[in-house]
Amino acid sequence: MSSSESVVNFEAGETTALSAGSDRILEAAADLVDGLRRSWLWTNLAHQDLKLRYRGSILGPFWQTITTAVMIGAMGFIYAELFRTPLEDYLPLLAAGLVFWQFTSGMITEGCTTFYSVQGIIQQVKLPLSLHAYRLVYRNLLILLHNFAIVPIVFLIFPKPVVWLQILELGPGLGLILLNGVWVSILLGMISARFRDVPPIVASIVQVLFFITPIFWPATALGEHRWLAEFNPLYAAIDVMRAPLLGQPTELYSWLILAIVTVLGWAGTFVFFARFRARIAYWA
Amino acid sequence: MSFLRLRDVSVEFPIYQASSRSIKKLLLASSTRGNIARDANDRINVRALSRISFDVADGDRFALIGLNGAGKTTLLKVLAGVYEPTSGRFASSGRVSSLLDMNLGFNFDATGRENIILRGMYMDIHPREMRERAAEAAEFTELGDYLDMPVRTYSAGMIIRLAFAASTCTPPDVLIMDEWLTAGDAQFLEKAQRRVESLVRASSILVLASHSLELVQQWCNRGILLHQGRAAMIGPVEEIIASYRRLVESGIPPDSSLEAADG
Repeated sequence: MSSSESVVNFEAGETTALSAGSDRILEAAADLVDGLRRSWLWTNLAHQDLKLRYRGSILGPFWQTITTAVMIGAMGFIYAELFRTPLEDYLPLLAAGLVFWQFTSGMITEGCTTFYSVQGIIQQVKLPLSLHAYRLVYRNLLILLHNFAIVPIVFLIFPKPVVWLQILELGPGLGLILLNGVWVSILLGMISARFRDVPPIVASIVQVLFFITPIFWPATALGEHRWLAEFNPLYAAIDVMRAPLLGQPTELYSWLILAIVTVLGWAGTFVFFARFRARIAYWA
Repeated sequence: MSFLRLRDVSVEFPIYQASSRSIKKLLLASSTRGNIARDANDRINVRALSRISFDVADGDRFALIGLNGAGKTTLLKVLAGVYEPTSGRFASSGRVSSLLDMNLGFNFDATGRENIILRGMYMDIHPREMRERAAEAAEFTELGDYLDMPVRTYSAGMIIRLAFAASTCTPPDVLIMDEWLTAGDAQFLEKAQRRVESLVRASSILVLASHSLELVQQWCNRGILLHQGRAAMIGPVEEIIASYRRLVESGIPPDSSLEAADG
């Protein structure tokens, strides 16, 4: 086989000559759909992740539940005092806030590891790459379900009139967060596979966000600077899940911000995914 | 009908981690490596495969041979669908099972048995369907009680057994193997060979990369000789083995035009 032609043709910049643009878009869409169709695979893998993470431990995933409970107990009394809020108002806010924050922030920080934590699989078999994002989001949903055990306990101690009809609102809120979790883990997973400095940067940012987002303090405490919370998508995320539980109305702007983030996030991620999907195996 | 089809397939790796300087030194020091170049952004690119075209048809047992760094493993990964070529076209049909790197895709905290199921899942086999096959695969490994221990307690040889048994528990249409298999002990190798033979009979295509000319001669009918990421020769296995021997002895690849590439 003669290869004399190939000698000359190796030139700079040729790396960008992947498949044509329209092909890439179709392939990226097919990846997202094929991954979703294999729900048996990512649910099984997520269950196994949890099983292995807590192997040999008696309480297993409930350890995190206990950690959260201790945190709520410790923070509750001090901050209720600091914010001059009655404990029976503050503790439910804090409990629901922390549980949903851990869920949301967990998807963001773990999202950085979506692809490089499974590089062994990516390098060995051809599977839809989106599968790993679904697995990650589903795993975090399972952890949320364990953690959530705290919320009814707090509500039993500090009984509140539960507005059942409003609790139904939790459904679309949670659904929207899961939908956002998928693009976040695909996007951060790709960037982190390529630039290994990103995960620690994301971790620090998330830590800062914990303090500047109204999670363990009410947004109303901002007074005239309320816009600081209103424009914070993470507050919107917490609000659409927490407000229905607390029997408060979800702020309209929370839905609005979240809708904008969902659309823009997915659009941006899709473009990025279509362009670089084939490269992930090389980066990971 | 299974097939593998490559048309002008090239694979380039951009190298991000290493500094340009040290890569340049590497290039100057080594003559067996592939091609290294810079792109417009002054990034280092390694061209691991350059314009490879061939077809593997139903029933073929296809060998990849070449010196270290010739691009064998990269080509296997293209054939397995893991690396999408940076240019050119690759098409395939049939369910692929790949034995590339024995450590890849194992969860070292899970037990041997769990890993067999896991490997099955990654090969798109539902755990329900996998149960019977998994028992058979577990039997094949002869690992006994170790099967219920975490894989991190295994020796390298035991991991090979597990990887091999798990990946071959169901006949694929296309079986892709890297040379690591030859690292097993003699007794297991013989057993593995019988299993692969029956798999190859059941499946339609075998692709094997190996340094062992004996193994290649025994198992394969056709093949490709890779040299510095290029197809130096594609043809019947006897011919490519002969060329490979000449290459090792004299350093001259069969296609003399390749020499120009080194300049």
